[in-house]
Amino acid sequence: MAFLDNSGDIILDAVLTDAGRERLARGDGSFKITKFSLGDDEINYTLYNTSAATGQKDLQIMQTPILEAFTNNTSLMKSKLISIPRTNLLYLPVILLNQSLGVAKDTTTDSILITVDETTTDNITTGQYLNGYETTSGQILRVDQGLNNNAVAATIDLDTDLVETQYMVEIDNRLGQLATSDGTPSPVSFVDDDSIASYYFSMGTGRNGVTPTPANGYVFENTVTGDGPDQVIAGPRGTYLQFKIKASQNLNSSTYLFTLLGNEFSFLGNTYYYIDTSVRITGATTGYRIDVPLRFIKQQ
Amino acid sequence: MAVTFKNIIPDQDIANTRTLLNEAIPITGTIVSGTYNDENIKNYAHGMFQSVYDYPFLSSSANHIFDISVGYSSDSSLSSSASVQNAKKINMYNQMAQVLVGYDDTGNIRQFDRDGDLSSGTKLKECIFIDFARLLTKDEIQKGTFALTLMTGGAPSAVSHPLVLEDHGANTSYLVNSPVGEYAVLYTSSLAVEGTGVGLLYYQAGIAVLTASVFDGEFGAPDATYDTSSIDAVLTGSEISSSADGLRNRWNNSDFNNTTELNSTIYFCRAMTSEFNYSSNPTYLSQSQIRVKVVETDMPLSYITTVGLYSADNELLAVAKVSEPLKKDPTNELTLRIRLDY
Repeated sequence: MAFLDNSGDIILDAVLTDAGRERLARGDGSFKITKFSLGDDEINYTLYNTSAATGQKDLQIMQTPILEAFTNNTSLMKSKLISIPRTNLLYLPVILLNQSLGVAKDTTTDSILITVDETTTDNITTGQYLNGYETTSGQILRVDQGLNNNAVAATIDLDTDLVETQYMVEIDNRLGQLATSDGTPSPVSFVDDDSIASYYFSMGTGRNGVTPTPANGYVFENTVTGDGPDQVIAGPRGTYLQFKIKASQNLNSSTYLFTLLGNEFSFLGNTYYYIDTSVRITGATTGYRIDVPLRFIKQQ
Repeated sequence: MAVTFKNIIPDQDIANTRTLLNEAIPITGTIVSGTYNDENIKNYAHGMFQSVYDYPFLSSSANHIFDISVGYSSDSSLSSSASVQNAKKINMYNQMAQVLVGYDDTGNIRQFDRDGDLSSGTKLKECIFIDFARLLTKDEIQKGTFALTLMTGGAPSAVSHPLVLEDHGANTSYLVNSPVGEYAVLYTSSLAVEGTGVGLLYYQAGIAVLTASVFDGEFGAPDATYDTSSIDAVLTGSEISSSADGLRNRWNNSDFNNTTELNSTIYFCRAMTSEFNYSSNPTYLSQSQIRVKVVETDMPLSYITTVGLYSADNELLAVAKVSEPLKKDPTNELTLRIRLDY
């Protein structure tokens, strides 16, 4: 009689993240584990060889060495595994930066420029930037979600179970905060110990719970079904997320963080202080995530 | 509906366990005296006790391992105004006694008792105190594992006659009438004969109390300038630090196991057949097409490297890693037991 296969039952030692330790130390009951998620940050799926013999397809993937756990809560679980009951999916939606209907990245710095004060905003000569000084005017940052290929026509609706209806947006709270298209600051869900602020935006919820309009909402259904220069998703489209970023008071009134975290560069005839960072956008449904590079700039 | 989180059901997916972890702690006599030329010994201006480190204490690598002190009761035959540091030795005895033995019903400090029966019997009036650091004892000393070998014979410069003090039988029989928890009597024989104890060992406090009479010959440091003819002479004629030097000189070896109480919560993270078969990894897709599939009918699959435990508001509180990627597809299901120790 052979031994039973016990490979399906694995014991792992967990380590607390810094956020977990902070909540535990608080002692107010906020340390309560209620759910789990599985991640595959180290896996490079391009190593999967679909043309190899059975048993050889994932040989390189299975040899991937796994890193020890980081304790920084934002450095882990960057890509999560997804539960979808159906097994016959060949395509999954992605999230892409829409640089036609939203602000475009500056080509020389490969990042979205954000002005932090009036002088910088008045003197900047490029048309592509976010007005972080006065968010009531200027462009928005927009990302679109959907199947980005031509295998399925854009006229076909994206399967409802793949449509992102909620997004989580994370940004360094020391540098900026999010705002609606009309410039109203967005409420922060929480700020962690590393000053990373998390925002949750749901479809159908505008500022203060009012019915969303393009001015005061964040998540909208993308109803455009045809091809067009403004659409970045080639196939069926789900939703899009839009917001603005207001520079922090610290960046507006001081060069402290610029000298601490950034540097100087010459751009269109002027010299600027800058800080490079990113805003992280994660779909709550599919877990798909993109990091949009940002550059906060302040004219010297 | 595609989801990335799965709820943990408290009644089904969470279990609490308690594990006692034991470590062996040897303290050899060469560390206590000799190896570091006493650079690992710290004496204080107050003169109440002496600290022993495992390395010269001026180094940041040094760890404090235990303290040594001595004392006698005010009604001891050694108590005299002529004795050196007489008041400090009485104070030391009383302090240790009030903490370890407590008070009688009239509020007087009890004295250490040879067999632990506080109502009657021989009292230990002249004592040597060895206070082990929390670093060594952790939550408590494991019962029945303590052994201290002292050289009780010969001159200070040529010690001899090893005598082993042990808490014989304490793993099954110990005392609980101390305000600081459990303790047992130290014996020199392998039999725990009542009335033959030479000291007391307090497990949770991590303190050994030895009767001074365990040393019946000469006592003191090899280079002593004080009277080393007997331990009584040292206790009355020199400072507490001299008695500590004498004990270290006769310290041959010590061994015990410590105990750390480990409380664990085990979270059962169950990935069922239809769950976690797709990935949001950026390399999972090429032009939105799943890389591991060629046609729709191919089974989806993913590889697990990390398990994240989250709060209700999606904050990552704890994380566990696997040693190699775990393949997940609709043909298998996994139960990952994630243990979080406190």
